[in-house]
Amino acid sequence: MGGPRKVSEHVVAIAAAYEMAPGRFPELSTEDLFRKVIKGALSSWDIKPSDIDGLMTHPSGTIAGYDIYFHDRLVTELGLKAKFVETLNLGGATYPAMVNRAANVIRAGRCKAVLCIGAGKFTKLSAGGGEMMARAISDPHLEVPYGTWIPALYGLLASEFMADHDVTYEDIARVAVSERKWALLNPDARMRKDGPISVDDVLRSRMITTPFHYLDCSVPSDGGGAVLVTTAAFAKKLSRQPAYVLGWGEAHLRGRVSEPGRLTDTGAIHSGAEAFKSAGLTPKQIDVAQLYDAFSVTPLVLLENLGFCKPGSAAKFVNSGGIDPGGQLPVNTYGGLLSFGHTGDASGMSLVTAGAFQVMGTAGPNQVDNARRVLIHGYGGIMYDHATLILGRKP
Amino acid sequence: MRPMPLVHKMNELFYEGCAKGELRIRLCTKCKARFHFTSEWCPYCYSQKLSYEKASGRGKVSHFTVCHTSPYPEFDQFTPYILALIELDEGVRMMSNVLDCSTERIRVGLRVKVRFETRGPGRTGPDPKDATKPGEANKFVCLPMFVPL
Repeated sequence: MGGPRKVSEHVVAIAAAYEMAPGRFPELSTEDLFRKVIKGALSSWDIKPSDIDGLMTHPSGTIAGYDIYFHDRLVTELGLKAKFVETLNLGGATYPAMVNRAANVIRAGRCKAVLCIGAGKFTKLSAGGGEMMARAISDPHLEVPYGTWIPALYGLLASEFMADHDVTYEDIARVAVSERKWALLNPDARMRKDGPISVDDVLRSRMITTPFHYLDCSVPSDGGGAVLVTTAAFAKKLSRQPAYVLGWGEAHLRGRVSEPGRLTDTGAIHSGAEAFKSAGLTPKQIDVAQLYDAFSVTPLVLLENLGFCKPGSAAKFVNSGGIDPGGQLPVNTYGGLLSFGHTGDASGMSLVTAGAFQVMGTAGPNQVDNARRVLIHGYGGIMYDHATLILGRKP
Repeated sequence: MRPMPLVHKMNELFYEGCAKGELRIRLCTKCKARFHFTSEWCPYCYSQKLSYEKASGRGKVSHFTVCHTSPYPEFDQFTPYILALIELDEGVRMMSNVLDCSTERIRVGLRVKVRFETRGPGRTGPDPKDATKPGEANKFVCLPMFVPL
C-alpha cells in the first residue's frame, strides 16, 4: 500500500472510550451496570443525543437469560433517533466485531456515530447453573453427558498445543505472570492488590483442570465499557488523537470441539490475515496487542495464529519477556482478563478500550511509548468466533 | 445422576447401536464421508441420503484434560475424571471419558477402545419444545466410554 491514506469520509475512528473499574457489585443488576457505564462515558465525553445515530450492544441477560431486544431499552434511555441498531453476541469476539461492523455501517454512509456498549456480570454458577452453562457451550447430547464445562473444553484445546510444541505448564503459567506485571501498573485492575506472582505461584495454586491452575484462569468480575465509533471528521472534534480503524477481519469456523480438525488452527489465522490485508500492515508493524485471554494458554495460540510468532515459538517469546512491560510486543497492557478481570458478557470490551487508550495516548501508567498501531483480537466460545481489529494513530 | 443425552431423531440410530454394543458412525451414501451423528445431512456435500456403519471401536486420544474440579454436584463422586476427544480409526472424532486410566498414563496419542456404560434413568435437560419444562426422562441410555488398549 505505502504512503499515508487520504482522510476521507470513508475513514472511521474510535473517538472516545470508557471502561469502568471492574469489581464485584452484588447490589447492581446488569442493567444497573449498563447505566453506570453510560454515566461514566457521558461524564468524560462531550456529546449530546443528536450526535449518536447508531447503537450496538449485547443481550443483557435480564429476561429469560438473554434479552435480544435490549437495544430498544438503551435507545429509549439514551433518547436516540437511530438509523442502525444491533444486539450482537459472539462471546469474547463481540466487541472487536462490533467496532468492525459499526465501521462498515459508517463507511457505507448509513450512520455518523455508532455507540458500542457492553456491561456484564460474571455469574458464579448456582445450583443447576453449571449444567445449564455446559448445555449452552457444548453439544447437549453428544458432549454434555461426559462432564463438559468451560475450563475443561479449553483444557482439551491446550492439550493439542502442548503436545504439538512441547509446551509445559511453566510456559503457560508465564503468560499469567506477564499479565500480572501489567496489572500492577493499573489502578483499576482487580488483581493489583494481590501483588506480583511467579511461575511457581501459578503452579502451586489449585489445579482446576489440566493444564490450568487457579491462577491460569481469568478473574470473575462485574463491569463494562463503551466506545464511540464515528467518522474521522467527527472524531477529530471529540478527540485530540482518535484511534483510527485501520484493519478488520472476522472468522467463524466451528461451534463444537468434537468437530474434526485442529483446535489450535483457529479462525484467528483467517481474521488476522484479513485484518492485516485491509490495513496494509504486517505483524512486525504492530506495537501493542490486546489478545483475549479467558485462560493463560490462549494468548500463546493467538501469538502464533496471528503471525506474531512462528508456530511453536510463542512460549519461548513469552518466556524471554517479549510480552512484558518493556518487551518487544507488549500484550494485554492493562492486565487482561487474567488480572484486570473477566466482566462476563462485557469481557471483550476491555481489550477494545485498552487498545484505544494506547493509541489515543491516554493509557496512564500503562501507556506504552510510541503505541502507533495496536491489534485487538477477541474470540468467543472455545475459540469458535473470531474478530480482529487494528487501530492506529494515523489514518 | 449425571446428565443424559436426549435420544431423538438425529442420534437414535447411534444410541440404538450403543445398546447393542455397536459403535456406529454416519456414512454419506453420496460422497462416502464419515462423521458423527451430528446432523441430518452430510456436512461435506449436503446430501440427505445418509447411512451408517459399525466402527471398530478403536482409536486414540487426540485431546484430553484431567478435571480435578467437579463442574457441578452430579460429577462430585467421579472427580477427578478424564474428558477426552477420541479419534476413531475410521477418522471420526467424538467426545468421551477415558476410564481405568491413571492421570499419569493419559497422553495425546494413547490407544483406546470403546466400553459401553449404561446410565439412567435420569434427566435429559430442558424439553426441546418448552425450555421451562424438564426433558423426558430417558429410562436407560448406553454411552460409549473408552479404556486404554
